[in-house]
Amino acid sequence: MSSNGDIKFLTHEVGSLAKPPWLVKTSAGKPLEESDVEHAQAWGEKLEVDGHEELVELLRQDERDPDEIARWSSRYCLRLQESAGVDVIWDGEQQRSEMYAWAIAHSNGFEPRGTIRSFDNKYYSKSAAVGPVSLGAPYHNDEFSFLKSAAKHELKIPITGAYTLAVWSYDEHHLPKTGRLGAGLSRQDEVDARRQLTLDIARNIIRPNLEALIALGATWIQIDEPGASTEEDELDIFVESFNVSVEGLDCTFSTHLCFSDYDLFFPAIEGMAGCRQYCVGFANYDTTELGTSSADRPGYEVISKWRDLPYEPILGLGVTDIHTDFIESPELVRDRILYAVDVFGDPARIHVCPDCGLRTRSWDVAYEKLRNMVEGTRLAEESLNRAHAGSTS
Amino acid sequence: MQAFAPGIYPRSEELVQATRDLDRGRTSQEAVDEQVQRDLGELVSVQQAAGLDLLADGMLRWQDVFRPIVEAADGLEKGALTRFLDTNTFYRAPSAANDAPKLPQPLNGGYFAPLPAPRLVTLPSPFALAHGTGVAPSELAEGVLKPQIEALDAELVVLEEPFLARAENGGLDSLAAALEKLGGGPKLALWVTFGSADKLFEQGLADLPVDGIGVDFYATKVSSVPEGFGKTLFAGVLDARSSVSEDPSEIAAFAGQLRERGVEEIALVPNGDLQYVSQAVAREKLARLGQAKTEAA
Repeated sequence: MSSNGDIKFLTHEVGSLAKPPWLVKTSAGKPLEESDVEHAQAWGEKLEVDGHEELVELLRQDERDPDEIARWSSRYCLRLQESAGVDVIWDGEQQRSEMYAWAIAHSNGFEPRGTIRSFDNKYYSKSAAVGPVSLGAPYHNDEFSFLKSAAKHELKIPITGAYTLAVWSYDEHHLPKTGRLGAGLSRQDEVDARRQLTLDIARNIIRPNLEALIALGATWIQIDEPGASTEEDELDIFVESFNVSVEGLDCTFSTHLCFSDYDLFFPAIEGMAGCRQYCVGFANYDTTELGTSSADRPGYEVISKWRDLPYEPILGLGVTDIHTDFIESPELVRDRILYAVDVFGDPARIHVCPDCGLRTRSWDVAYEKLRNMVEGTRLAEESLNRAHAGSTS
Repeated sequence: MQAFAPGIYPRSEELVQATRDLDRGRTSQEAVDEQVQRDLGELVSVQQAAGLDLLADGMLRWQDVFRPIVEAADGLEKGALTRFLDTNTFYRAPSAANDAPKLPQPLNGGYFAPLPAPRLVTLPSPFALAHGTGVAPSELAEGVLKPQIEALDAELVVLEEPFLARAENGGLDSLAAALEKLGGGPKLALWVTFGSADKLFEQGLADLPVDGIGVDFYATKVSSVPEGFGKTLFAGVLDARSSVSEDPSEIAAFAGQLRERGVEEIALVPNGDLQYVSQAVAREKLARLGQAKTEAA
């Protein structure tokens, strides 16, 4: 709600944005082409990034500091979202290598095991837990301190959660290396090993990071758990690890779930009352036709289960498919929101966001998607406020 | 004793980078094609060094085990990005636009790379292809898979089946009817990947009309294999979801247990696509598969 009582939805990002070519090449130690510099110039002007001429000058030099260029990329991504009108933002993880690799690289007890396909031509690095895991040093502090100084909008910090770090890793520490053939290792043995690794990560890596961020002034931390539903019989481990990570800490905690059979989360997440908001991708499963009936919005059928959670969390409603260049029209975004409000019966329990991080889209596409997401949100607000005014006049 | 490497093989770090660059407009398709050829050459060398009995091309151009077939078939469409079992890898789940999809033209050679020796080919099993589409497996076998198999020059077609072991309502009967339609050409094996076949054996898995049955022996008990198993048993003895390299002696000893059970024809294989480990890990696993075959012979 806004201060005058009108309905107002909070819009927010989810996590990643693509890295610009001038950052990718700088990080890889490769020379830039003129088109890369033009990219920085054009987007600097388009987004009105303060001092972007300084970046352009830096990019014309042979020697460039990758960390400095990454901070510039952070400024651009903050401005991209601010310019699109998104209320709560982050920098698209420009200063991180990747959501998994960054966390693992700053932790002890892991060794890299190479690159695995995520889908199509998208990949992720995968490591193995090879010993007791622990935190090297809090790994989001510098990033948060910098972004706090550079952002004009409110910040929400995404941090990869314990269960996802565990399930995206091989476990060479807790699982036996031999004796498994012929089903020599029971499923319960595997689950027990996962619980050990996940809770070790929650206690020894995630929680110290959260404590450090809160000490620096963080007020909203999103614990990213895209791997949460990987194993149907391990959802209690995901829930337990979330609770162990956040219990007793003074901050707003939310989680992000995506590309899953969301029915699997129920009833497990009934025990996750410390999670005040679930940011969930739905647009990927929906049609692109307009309409606000349940038949029009098959991708959102499951949202009533969040409505019915006893601790009444907010639902961050994914309205933008991040795996396609299709630009959702404001009207489509509006209808998805209106449907969700109809299901929830309480607009205060709805936030609006993309399905997931937009890093697989170009900045052009991501910008247009975010602009339409915001515009569609305004249309939904207008529609609801108009209806409300009509009913009270 | 034989050994094979069906399924999707991991891409090299160089091919990973090349395909990433292609998506971002930083390299050409020709450059990617050249790297695919280098990856293929490497895979052939690894298989030959390991003494594998038929060569596989690693399906290096396949985005998932369904995609090229789905895109080539009339009446099938690629659906939502969907988690593949309990992995962190996703695929476009097939969906159907009508009740009787057809493959108007078999996939071209781009998806079945030429190899310097007799080969196997991996295709989705009709039950897997039908999963979630609402179309009967036999319909997809007849209209889509059969024309593809007839066009292949392969000694063996491995039908990859990731969903049967997890199907709540069985599925063996519908699969059997579908497999009946695929016979008459190259040898067929049904490869039940990443899951326990314990119950499936009880239900008659061994009686399916194929020449070989593949089983994940990281999830399946030896005692579940029927006494007097009369087909080739494709024993999934490499764990494609583990970074640990297997002990060849342990695999050889395990093959001995299968023989004691009365299994006469054994082929050592992974328990699923090796793409769930990196190429470096997969290469080592195949080398050990070869050692295990030698020890077990």
